[in-house]
Parts: sequence; C-alpha cells; structure tokens
Amino acid sequence: MNQLSSETFDKNAKAALADVQLRGALRHATSLFGKRRLEAARSLNNWEELRTHARAVKDEVLLHLDRYLETFVANAEKRGAVVHWANDGTEANAIICKLARDRNARTIVKSKSMTTEETHLNDALEAAGLQVVETDLGEYIIQLAHETPSHIIAPAIHKTKRQVAELFTSTLGMPPTDDVAQLTRTARATLRDRFAAADMGVSGVNFGIAQTGTIVIVENEGNIRLTTSVPRIHVAVMGIEKVIPRLADLDLFLKLLPRSGTGQRLTTYQSFITGTKRNVDDEGPDELHIVILDNGRSRMLAHPVTRQSLACIRCGACLNACPVYQQIGGHAYGSVYPGPIGAVITPQLIGFEKTAQLPYASSLCGACREVCPVKIDIPQLLLHLRSEITSNGSKRNATERIAFKLWAKVMVSPALYNLSSLAGRLIQKVMPLAPAWTRERDLRPIEQQSFRSLWKTKLSHE
Amino acid sequence: MSSREVILGSIRSHLAASPPAELVQSVFLPEPTPPTLRATSVVDVFKESVEAVDGHCVVVQTEEELTGVLKNFGGRIAISDAPLLNRLGIEPSRDNIFDIDVGITTAQAAIAETGTLVLDSSRERNRLVSLVPPVHIAIVDASTIFQTLGEALAFIHQDGNISPAVTFITGPSRTADIELTLAIGVHGPQELYIIVNDGPALTR
Repeated sequence: MNQLSSETFDKNAKAALADVQLRGALRHATSLFGKRRLEAARSLNNWEELRTHARAVKDEVLLHLDRYLETFVANAEKRGAVVHWANDGTEANAIICKLARDRNARTIVKSKSMTTEETHLNDALEAAGLQVVETDLGEYIIQLAHETPSHIIAPAIHKTKRQVAELFTSTLGMPPTDDVAQLTRTARATLRDRFAAADMGVSGVNFGIAQTGTIVIVENEGNIRLTTSVPRIHVAVMGIEKVIPRLADLDLFLKLLPRSGTGQRLTTYQSFITGTKRNVDDEGPDELHIVILDNGRSRMLAHPVTRQSLACIRCGACLNACPVYQQIGGHAYGSVYPGPIGAVITPQLIGFEKTAQLPYASSLCGACREVCPVKIDIPQLLLHLRSEITSNGSKRNATERIAFKLWAKVMVSPALYNLSSLAGRLIQKVMPLAPAWTRERDLRPIEQQSFRSLWKTKLSHE
Repeated sequence: MSSREVILGSIRSHLAASPPAELVQSVFLPEPTPPTLRATSVVDVFKESVEAVDGHCVVVQTEEELTGVLKNFGGRIAISDAPLLNRLGIEPSRDNIFDIDVGITTAQAAIAETGTLVLDSSRERNRLVSLVPPVHIAIVDASTIFQTLGEALAFIHQDGNISPAVTFITGPSRTADIELTLAIGVHGPQELYIIVNDGPALTR
C-alpha cells in the first residue's frame, strides 16, 4: 500500500508537484469535470434556488438528526430491514464481519462507498479470511493496484489508460492494449463471475429517506444494482448524516448531485431499496442490513460552522474547482476524503494530531463555496479549524503568532511603520525577503518611495 | 448502553451544546417546467432525451407494430413476467440469466425531461432481466410518461406506499473511470432499446 499520511502533507504535495504524469491527468480531469458541471448547472433556470432549498433541507435534518434517524430506522425495520448502529469504524467492520461469518458468506462483492473506505472495511474483511472484490471500475483498478481512491467520484483519476492496461496485463493476464473499451470489457467479464458467485453485497448509501425507510443509491455502471440484487445478503453502510426527510426532497438532490458530480442530468441508475422482498420467490436478497455509522460525525453538530460539514452530499465538485487539488491530486492529502471537503472533514473525524496541515492546504479563494451544491462555506470552516488549531497552541504556529503581534504593533504606529518600510527597502537590496515564499513566486520589489513621501514632495501640489 | 443509545445521545448532547439556531422549516418547491418543453409532445421530448444518453427509442402505435420491432432481436431471450410479454408469444430461453443475450421488460412509468425508465419490482419481475443481459428492451406506454422527475417521484410513492425495489434507468450502463473516457456497457446493458407505445395502452 502506498498510503500517504496527512502528517506529511507538505512533502506529499511537493512530490505530487514534481509528478508530470499526475499533473497532466489532473489538469485533464478537473477541467473537464468543471466544464461539464457548469453546463449542467446552466441547463436549469433555478440552480441557485435548488441549492438554497437543498441546504435548508439539510439544515432542518441536522438540527433534528436524532428524530429523523429514529423515523428512518422505524420505517426501515417495519419493512424488514435489520438496522445496526456503529459508533466507529471498528464497530462497523466487526458487525459486517460477524454477519458474513454467521451466514457463511465467503465471497463478498462491494460497490463504491466512501464510508467503507473511511472504516477500512476491506482490510477488516480480508483479515477475517473473507474474499472481497470491489466492483466499481475505478475502485477495482485501485484494489488491483493496492492503492487508495484519489477522488470521491472518480477513484482512479490519477492513472492513465496505459497504467491501467499494464495493471490488467500483469494481474489479469490481459493481452496488452490501450483501448479503454477493451479494458472495460475485461473488467466486466472478470467481475461477472464474482457477481454470480457472491454471497454478500456491500454498498454505501447516498440518501436515507426518513418518511419511507428507503435507501437510495446512485451510479452509472450497474455494479450497485448487481451488488444489491444478486447476492442473498445486502449490507448497506450509511453515515448518520445521510438521512433526508421525504422522498419528494430527492427532486432537489437528484438534480444537484449528478450535475455537480459528473455534469449529468441524472446518473444512469437510481436504486430505491425499501426493506426486503415481500415473497420468498421474489427477486432480490433475502436479508437487508443497514449499518448506521457515527465515527466522529455527531461531534460536528456542536457548532453551526462545523455542523455544515454534515450537509455534504459527496459530489466531488469542490475537488475539481480547487486550485490546490488541481495541482496535487487526492493522495497528497493522505486521507480518505481529499480536496477542500477532505481538508475540513478529515481533521474533524480523526482529530488534529495528524491532520493539522490540512486546513492550511487552501488559498481560501472560495471556488469550493461557489460550486458546492449545498452551499457549504468551506473557507469559513477552514478558518474555524485553523483558529482551533492555533488556540491549541501548537509549536508550528508560535512564530506566526509572534509575527502577527509584531505586525499589529507596526500597523498602528506611523513611526514604526515608516521605519519598517525603510528597513524593508534596504534589506531587499542585499537579500531576498521571505525566501520560502519567493522560492516558487516573485515578490514585487518594494517601491523606492512610499506614498506618504510622494504625497509630501509632489502629489499634494498637483 | 447500546451503540444506538450512545449515538443518539451524542447527537442530542452536541446539538444542545450548540448555540440555538433558528428552526428552519424546509419547504419543498416543485420546479417550474422549462418553457422549451411545453410546445413539444411528451413522446418527442422523451425520445430526444433517451437518444441524448445513447439509448435507442422506437415509437409504435399498435401491438402488431410492437411484435414487428421485437422480431428484429435474436439470440437467447429472457422476459419478465409482464402479462403483455407472455401474450406476445416470445419464446424465452431457459438458460441462466448470466448467459442471456437480450432481456425484455415493460416499464411502469417514464420521465420525458431525462429519458428515464421507472421499473417497479412489485409490479413485474424485472430486476435481473433489465440488468444482466447485454441488451435490454423496455416497452412503455406513452400515457405513463411523466414530464418531470418530481412527478415520477410522486408516482413511486402513491398512497404512501413504495415497492421493495424501484429502479430508475437513464440510458445504457456507462463508465468514465479511465481517463474520463466514456465506455458504454460496463456492468449493465450495453444497449438499451425503448419501445414507446403511442397507441391504446398495452402494459396495464
């Protein structure tokens, strides 16, 4: 596994910046995603209204999350689903491993789920001696390569088709090709056998409908439909924040999510799954288990600023829009969730100890806030987290604190200000100012005369 | 204490710790129909939307015409248990669904603005037939095509009831996971043929 750590974000980012192939792939992907998103948003005449309403729905749910969850669970159980609650990833994984063992499920097929990436479910299943196969094409590629996703909706975005072809040749024995259609056919053929043999299917959840107990999952490939239709047991893993009040609310979210993610009007498939089948002979799994995961989410409810993190619908638009992500890609963040949204939710999920660099991985340009379909103010969140990090008094920020205290003193005293600009002018002649800053950027030379002295000598007479 | 109690307790205590926020009552607003759609018939809009997502759409007026279109498809065929398909006298193959070439179902509804089929599992045995074979043919009555997504969402939740499995299908299976290059037919059907019956209703 070449899993990077958030602790070494600065180093990871530098390495990514030096990777010409990676930067080419990112430039291509993020600009194409961005362009498609913009066209799709413009195809509706009430995009802004939809965003505002969707956010209002999310805010409503989050303010009464306990009640909406209870309603969702009661309705899902009424229809035959078995609901499990997991405080953290370890507990969620243990529940799923036990389900598999108790029911003698040996082969498990999985559809893409960021939540199970977060809990490292595959590692837990393999440690329990179970065979687990990722079936989303992108996830399958990174599973074969023993890597982690680098984008929320396009996990293998960092790989070229040539790299995928080499991977398929070495792991699946496919004859060399760089034809994407051929690569796709190979994956389809290999995974078909896995689906036919699978005992258990594990999926994520995009929306849990409180009103009906329905889980809604969206996709393009059809692997989610296979995962939730063919095996005899279906396990769906759902973060507590996925619940929405009514089925009708999907008229907002099913417009916003695909347009923001891939620029589609609708993804190819939406599966609405409500409990278990009615008759033994009906199609579909015998059992539906829903694992509801907290894993640090409920903590985010404690403050209005952090609470909005839970409104995220995982579309990935902020990744594509972010000038930092565009340059370094997902792996440099060293966390399951990359990009702007990853920089705010990762420290909240796992604490600042290893993630303190992430809230600084942003220029605060606000592009993420512009594209967010549920109007999460990510820059505000980044500042909030930065302030929490500095008030924790870490060493890294001691110099910064002194520098800003000094700056404040200088800025309120004309004498000190004049002195410092004079000093700056003199120093710049003999040595570069702020060498770390100017390594990759230019610092404009300070003007030889300040505005004040210009005013005194010339401007005031004009 | 059970994990359920711990999680709900944590949600309640963290919400209580936060500054009181104004209670937001979300109001659901249906989207006004885009004016460009009003002039055209729902079938034309549907056909255009289906073709925009790489599906094929054929419009027929009678059962005879429908049978004629279906005759173009050979190979091992699987059908759902829809009464119409039994009546048409199609010879289904007895092979395992994973060895079938063409799957035929009806659809309980459709959405014009997106080119979407609505398949309800309680009305028809359609889950695998519409998914596993490389070709899916779906027959839909023009009278069941809604203009908007919102109407279809209301339809699947009629009388406050919803089937165990409802599937929305918009075009053939697709992926762009390798270099964002579009590839059609990854796990689901490679080809989707939708036959719209614009004559007297057949599927009910």
